[in-house]
Amino acid sequence: MTISLSELKKGFNRAGYICDESTALTVFLTLELGKPLLIEGAPGVGKTEMGKVLADILKTELIRLQCYEGLDETKALYEWNYQRQLLRIQMNRDLEEEQVREEDLFSDRYLMERPLLRAIQADRVPVLLIDEVDKCDPEFEAFLFEVLSDFQVSIPELGTIKAKNIPVVVLTSNNERELSDGLKRRCLYLYLDFPAVEQEVQIVKAKIPEITDRLAWETARVVSRLRQENNLRKKPSIAETLDWARALVALNRNRLDGKLVSETLNLILKTHADQEYFNSEIGSEGIEKIVKTGGSGGESRQCR
Amino acid sequence: MPLNNKLTSSYLEENLAVFINLLRQEGLPVSTTEMFDALKALEHVDLSSREEFKSALQATLVKNTHDRGCFNRLFDNFFVPPEVQAQRNKQVEHRKKQFTHELDQARKELQFKGENLQLSPEELVQYRSMSKEQREKLKQFMYKTETGVNVESRFRPILESVVKSHLRYCKNQQGQSNRQDETGGSGRGEGAGAGKNKDELLREMDIQAITKTDLPEAEQLLQQLSRKLAVKILRRRRSGPRSGVLDLRRSLRENMRYGGTIFKLKHKPKRRSRQQILLLCDVSGSMKSYSTFVIQFLHGLRETVRDLSCFTFADRLENLTGELKGKNDLQYLLDRVIRRSETWGGGTNLGISLEVLNKKYPDLLNNRTSVIVVSDTKTIALDQAAKELGSLKDRVKRVIWLNPMPKEQWPEYRAVGTFAEMVEMWPCNTIAQLEEVLTGRL
Repeated sequence: MTISLSELKKGFNRAGYICDESTALTVFLTLELGKPLLIEGAPGVGKTEMGKVLADILKTELIRLQCYEGLDETKALYEWNYQRQLLRIQMNRDLEEEQVREEDLFSDRYLMERPLLRAIQADRVPVLLIDEVDKCDPEFEAFLFEVLSDFQVSIPELGTIKAKNIPVVVLTSNNERELSDGLKRRCLYLYLDFPAVEQEVQIVKAKIPEITDRLAWETARVVSRLRQENNLRKKPSIAETLDWARALVALNRNRLDGKLVSETLNLILKTHADQEYFNSEIGSEGIEKIVKTGGSGGESRQCR
Repeated sequence: MPLNNKLTSSYLEENLAVFINLLRQEGLPVSTTEMFDALKALEHVDLSSREEFKSALQATLVKNTHDRGCFNRLFDNFFVPPEVQAQRNKQVEHRKKQFTHELDQARKELQFKGENLQLSPEELVQYRSMSKEQREKLKQFMYKTETGVNVESRFRPILESVVKSHLRYCKNQQGQSNRQDETGGSGRGEGAGAGKNKDELLREMDIQAITKTDLPEAEQLLQQLSRKLAVKILRRRRSGPRSGVLDLRRSLRENMRYGGTIFKLKHKPKRRSRQQILLLCDVSGSMKSYSTFVIQFLHGLRETVRDLSCFTFADRLENLTGELKGKNDLQYLLDRVIRRSETWGGGTNLGISLEVLNKKYPDLLNNRTSVIVVSDTKTIALDQAAKELGSLKDRVKRVIWLNPMPKEQWPEYRAVGTFAEMVEMWPCNTIAQLEEVLTGRL
């Protein structure tokens, strides 16, 4: 799939996915080298969104495989439709038709394609999003990197199926556990960090065009300041910033103040302990200060 | 930009190979496949753009969040503009000349009756690295020996041997004081640690050397580590050929090929029994800093890992499980452990402590229990301790010993050898080592 770097950047902008040069270049290299892309980063920084946006830019199908503990080949690759096979045998017996052949039972008709097989058999290059790969078991991970290196699978009853087109593969991980070196070796790597304030303002404005400049900056500053608090159990994600900004727009607010932040706090801080921490360590006064002065070091954060 | 120019291409490849070698020396696992990927990637970027060049290498060579800091540091030092490189070469030349001059100077100063002493370059370097006073002292000693009554040139080998031992002694002394400097927190910013980012430094710093100002960052690293370990411990499903209860659906599916006659049974994956963790933390005088860190780390685990027990010991055993599991914040817990503990900062008697554990808490010791001992092995009554450790080991799934003593000192202590023969012992005096052992071995 050929696309130039500038077209890719334009595509990201069109889709409202604001990212820096380095991220765009890494995705471009992924497409050029035909390698899977492994994206790591905190929850809510836009890892899964990258897969979706990429499918949108390339105008192709997105095939998603959500990983979880206990996921195996029957859920990820293929499974025989055994109910249908049973019915066929039963019908054959009842109708006293000619003997059903084994080949008839193990044909495409009875094969249930799961995401990996669908991606391999797709007529047009799809985007295969393997989400939260760190949640699957190491055994499945080993199986996965075999599939990802050869892009072919063996089904005992049918033989080896080779990929019609090598899919664009995006793997995401929340880094809950270390992935194997084998899998990492087969991928290009991208780490997504929380965006800088300026970048987050762009994201907010791209997703919520009706928001005022002032409110966009103030929400981004407050969220950025909260993310600097290492004691928070769950730092607010970009999705939560957007939810919060939408709620503020719905409330017809054009600016933030301490009281408003306290009232809508549950949209950005989702645990009681975090809310209590906020009230004791930052509070309404702290918010007023961030809003008025531009916060303490919010803008100096590294951009992703 | 395609690499049309052969010369540029080979120069680039050579440079890249050297750079990758540097990354490997710093512990980054860069394989040959990744090197080829990097070369291929460079064919698609504008080589005149430093940022694009760096991003391409980063995407293909660095596959771990922790390694990004190391990569950035090495990249910024290695790929420098030609004028900076020329200046550096000049500096290196200058240093070489200076070094040769210093060695010559040392040779001149260390003469006996007009003849050079037979000293290796390392010994001469050691001499130059000594303070002016120390050098003067040695010179005085040599002068007095040389000018003594009935001292002949054949005494030279004796003097050589005395000088060599003195240099060796000074080297050891310097080594020890350097270690003390490092543990005092002043060894930063130079030598191996130069240019490393704060997280990298903290991960590799001796836990004892972590200062109060660095504590928040260190605690954050510990929290990350706690989360990783919690995920690992909570994973309970394990697939196996014959385990767990019968899986009717999979059995039917599997046996379709035999005409519906069921003769191959399929079972549901067996759930891994929940691990119990028992921490035995040495809080004697020599172990305070390490134990504080391990307790902080366990505090991060307490919400996710149900079967967690915590004991501290010095000259006796103390059960802190209740404090750990209560809704106490970390500060309260540390306060409770440090200020009100009866054992904190005392001497160590591991034997008595293990005896109490074996006798009073049999219900905690079973084949699901992993015992983590954090101790430098310095204990009185070694034989009793070894006997009780053997008895503990027989009752539990495994015993992992985290020893904060530097590994090179292990042979000097009999206790280390005794315990290491009985249980798995790992050096553990940095957060990086703690992470490696707990996430990799547990």
